[in-house]
Formats: sequence, structure tokens, C-alpha cells
Amino acid sequence: MITETVVIPPSAPVRPTWSRWVSVALLLVGAALVLAFPSIAPNPYILSAGVVILNYAVLSTGWNFMGGFTGYISLGHAAYFGLGAYGTALAIKYLALPSFVAWIVASLLVAIIAIPIGIAALRVRGASFVIVSIAFVLIMLLVFQGWREVTGGSDGLNVPRPFPDLLRPEHHRVFYYLFAALLALALVVWWIIDRSKFGTALKSIREDEDKAQSLGVPTTRYKLIAYVLSAVFVALGGGLYALWFGDLDPIFQFSILIGSYMVLMALLGGVRNLFGPLLGAVVVGLALEYFKLEFGETQFHLVATGLLLGIVVLFMPDGIIPAVKGLFTRSSSQASIREVTAAELLDQNRARSAKQESRTPDASGEETS
Amino acid sequence: MSGSLLLQSVILGVLLGGLYALLAAGLTLYFGIMRVVMIAHSAFLILAAYLAWWFNRETGIDPLVSLIVTVPLFFVAGLLTQRLLVSRLKPLTLTMMSVLLTFAVALVIEGGLGFIFSGTQRRIPLPYASESLNFFGAQVPVVKLIAFGLAALSLALLFVVLKYTRFGQALRATIQHPEAARLVGINTERVAGYGFGLGLATAAIGGTALSLDATIYPSLHWHWIGPLMAIIVVGGLGSIPGAAIAALVLGVAQSLLQLPLGSTWAQTVFYVALFLTLMFRPQGFFGGRLAQRF
Repeated sequence: MITETVVIPPSAPVRPTWSRWVSVALLLVGAALVLAFPSIAPNPYILSAGVVILNYAVLSTGWNFMGGFTGYISLGHAAYFGLGAYGTALAIKYLALPSFVAWIVASLLVAIIAIPIGIAALRVRGASFVIVSIAFVLIMLLVFQGWREVTGGSDGLNVPRPFPDLLRPEHHRVFYYLFAALLALALVVWWIIDRSKFGTALKSIREDEDKAQSLGVPTTRYKLIAYVLSAVFVALGGGLYALWFGDLDPIFQFSILIGSYMVLMALLGGVRNLFGPLLGAVVVGLALEYFKLEFGETQFHLVATGLLLGIVVLFMPDGIIPAVKGLFTRSSSQASIREVTAAELLDQNRARSAKQESRTPDASGEETS
Repeated sequence: MSGSLLLQSVILGVLLGGLYALLAAGLTLYFGIMRVVMIAHSAFLILAAYLAWWFNRETGIDPLVSLIVTVPLFFVAGLLTQRLLVSRLKPLTLTMMSVLLTFAVALVIEGGLGFIFSGTQRRIPLPYASESLNFFGAQVPVVKLIAFGLAALSLALLFVVLKYTRFGQALRATIQHPEAARLVGINTERVAGYGFGLGLATAAIGGTALSLDATIYPSLHWHWIGPLMAIIVVGGLGSIPGAAIAALVLGVAQSLLQLPLGSTWAQTVFYVALFLTLMFRPQGFFGGRLAQRF
């Protein structure tokens, strides 16, 4: 298979101004909907489902710091979800720290743990990286199941509630807004990186790591920074989950399934877009809640997740947002450098020259408006 | 630790390592020919074990007989998986997306097994389940010997096929250099399909061997995929001898560590080996530079 890589520089944006206004309006409406949700939610169950979906959104947006910018797909980020959750719980239990202090301390600890793990994992690319990420979550599962004296093993671990006086609906409401704030923070940081030189360097790693390196991008260091940042946001999500849910269990906290949800959500929405993982979390989260409600104890939700992941990988690996955008704007995404095969480029050039020919009446011999 | 106990651990480790070697060889085939990381390999393993159990429950005949059906069935399933799913992936992102795609297949199999057979733990009531042989004071269960014999025989057969048949030559050529293989007239797509079929046939054999002495449940495949992945990375992605040697060494190490540490902690040996390999020899012990890049 001969594929020649041609780098097309981002062409000048030809966005009409109204599209920007539509974006801003959509953003405002979306934010208003998110903020108003607890008041609209008819019952505490629906509200708690909202909390779960926001948690998913935090996790997949956190995952996207690594997956979206650098193209390194980690199936094992559930390890950081679990470490954040257990770290928070253990810091409260053994260090007697106040809940939210424990949360921050645990997330900082996760950052420190993520450095050597990242150095080891990032020595390999592609498939080996994915394998290592899976191995990481499996080893964490073993450790937290085996180390009974500290973690409670498979019996689980109780996390003291930060607001013991609150009734259940109020508790959900408070955590709903905490998760929303964390999500907003993650989105803002992702947005800033997306526009920075650092972000551009990360994307160059995604497109062609060897070329990026030869052009002087400090790939190893940048990848590590993205990895640690990603781990920290996922750990923050995990810690907040621990405080909200109040009960931890290694099988759930360190499950490949949670890691695959993050990947599925991010891919489904679109990893190259700020709101891609969030959109994916809403779609997948709703579907998961529905399947759990409808099929309960059966393992059908696994089948559904698997089918969804397969469909996304086979038919829309770029995600929903680029697909929808493609419906409105004819040219493909101009957000970043993309790889085109020589054949594709030839087709594009032909189409372009054909269009130009049809515009000039002399060449085509017809009158066109 | 007494001498006979040590001997027993080593023997059991080798027997387990044989099974690991067969399964890791399958994974190496997919990766070698197509750069595909087949996460669903161990899910198919458990599926085969379930079929063996189900066959035994319905007929009462020895589960080994079910191989007559499951091996061709899995071969076809492998062909179809390659034709219908894997070959649709784009070449540029093939390896990465293959992980996600086969992961999805694994979820569907796990969920399907749970849906049909429930999460209950199953075991085949074999008449010779508790029999064991005595080697110089070491007790070796007969079922584990049968499982090892089956794995070793299949591995030898696989080796002969790869080494001495025309198809094997084409397959090895494809592993070494896909483009050159295509230039000399090898239909690499067909080779890839048959390679996938062969790989899944090893999963069918391994699963049947496993079903003889293991308690099976749908999510068991996660306990297998981790060690198997570690083995192929340590051995060097794409190298069958590397995978076999790593499988035997790590199988024995796991078995030896079981006595002082218990079975949970003994499993960590695979991950420790994986991380040490990445730190000091990322391409694995028998792989070329290729392993680092895909």
C-alpha cells in the first residue's frame, strides 16, 4: 500500500460571521440547560443520572487531553479514576484530612504516580501503548483487591460524606454543580491548550511523531505533560465520584469497562473537538442509564456497549461533531493538519479545477451564473 | 519450601506455560500478519470453554470431542472476523483501531455469554478430574497434563504448518514483508484471513483445554488477556518463538510465586515483567524495531 503523505497547511478560515454567532448561542443555551437541569429534573433518580453523566463527561474530557491531542489511545485511564477515588478515600481515612483537601491531595499524588507510569508507557507507541494501558488498570485491580488491610479488598471501602446533614436530593444537587464546575475547568484548560503553541506541538505528534521530533518538538516531554494532565483530570473526576457515591469497590473503580466508556464517548463525539467528549458522554451516558434501567441484571449492556463501539470505530471514527459539521460546510475540517493520500489529493485538485472551469464560460462554453 | 513442592510448582508452571504459549502464538499471528492487536482472543478462548462445557452438559461426552466442531467453527469465525470487520479498517490507523474494534468484539462475546448462560460459575464434572500422577513426590493433576499435551501438540502442528507448507511460506513471507509478498504474487488478503482463522482455531483448542480444569465465567477473559498481552510484548511483538519462551518463563515464575505470595499477587509477575521490558528493552526480547512502532 503506497500512501504518500501530503501536509496541507490550514487554509484561511472562510467562516461566515453568523456561524460564530450560532456557536456562541449554542454554547449559551447548552450552559443554561446544564445549569437549569437540577431544577427541571422531576425526581432524585433523574438528578443522580445527571450527576453520573457529568462525571462521564469529566472523565472523557480528561481522557481527551491525551487521546485527542496526541492520538495515544489509552484504554486504561480507569486506573486514574480508581486511584483518584481510592486516594481521596484513603486520605480521609488515614490522614484525617477534610474531604475536599483529601480530594486535592489525592489528585496531586496521582500526578506524581502518573509521571513514572507515563515515562514507561510512552516509550512505546500505538498498540503497545494500548496494551500497556490495559495492563496498568489490571495490575491496579490486582493491587487494590489483594491489599485487603488497607483498601478493604473486594468488600469495598466506605467514604465519609462531606456534607452529612444534607438530604439525598440536596446531596445530588450540590455534587451536580461540583461536577459541572470541574467539567467547565477541564473544558477551559483543553480550549486554552488547543489554541496554544504547546497544543499545536501535541497535534504535530498526533499527525507524525517522527517528523515532529525532527522539527525540534520535544515530543517526550510534551507527551508526558499531556499524559499527566489527563491523568489528573480523570483522578479529580474519580475523587469527586468517591465523595459523591460514598462506597468504593475495586471491580468497578478499576474496570476496563470504565476506560472503554471514556474512549467510546470521546470517539463518538469527536476527539478533535472541545465538546466532542461531552457530547459523547451525554449520548453514551443516557444509553447506559437506559440499558441498566431496562435490562438490569443481565449482561446486555455489555453487548450494547460493544456494538456501539464497533459501529463508531468502523463507520464514524472521526465522531459526530465532524460528521455534522460536514453536512453544513462542504470542505472538511480545517482545524488542523490532516493526512491525505496522493489519490485523494489528485481527486480534490481535479474537482477544484473542474469547478473553476465551469465558472469561466469560455472554457466550458456554457453560461453559468 | 520442600524439594517436591518446588518440583511440583515448576511442573505446574510449565504446564500452564504451554497453554499460554499456544494462545500467545495466536496473538502473535494476528499481529505479525496484519498488525492487528486482537483483544478478543481471550474472549473467544472463554467462548470455546463455554461451548465445551455446554456440549458436555447436553451430551455427557468428553469435552475434548467438541473440538471436532469448535475448531472448524472458530476457523470460519476467524475468516469472517477478518473479512467483515478488520479488513474495513483504514491502513493508516489500522493497529490502533483494531484494538478498539476487537475490544468491542470481546465485550459482545462477554455480554452474550452472560446473557445466555448468566454470570454463574461453571465447571465440567469430569470423571478423571481429581486424578493425579506422582512424579518424585510432586502431584500433577491428569487434566493439566491433558491440557498441556493438547496445547503442545497444537503448537507443534502450527509450527509444522508455518514451516513446511506452501501456505506457511506465504504466511511467513507476509509477516516479513507484506509489500514484497504481494509483489511476488501472494494474495496477502487471503493469507490474512486464513491467519486469523488459524489464530482463532488455537483459541478453540486452548479454550477446550482450559475447560477441563477451570471454573469458567463470562468475565474470565480479562484474567487471560493481561498475561497474554504481557507475554507477547515481553517476547517481542510478532515473534512466535519469543512468545513461546516468554510464556514458559513467566508461567513458571507465576507458579513459583504462588506459594509464598498467593495466587492474586503471583499474577503481578506478568505486569512487572512488562514494565521492566518497556523500561530496558521496549522492542521485547526477540522482536525487531517494528514492535516499538505499532
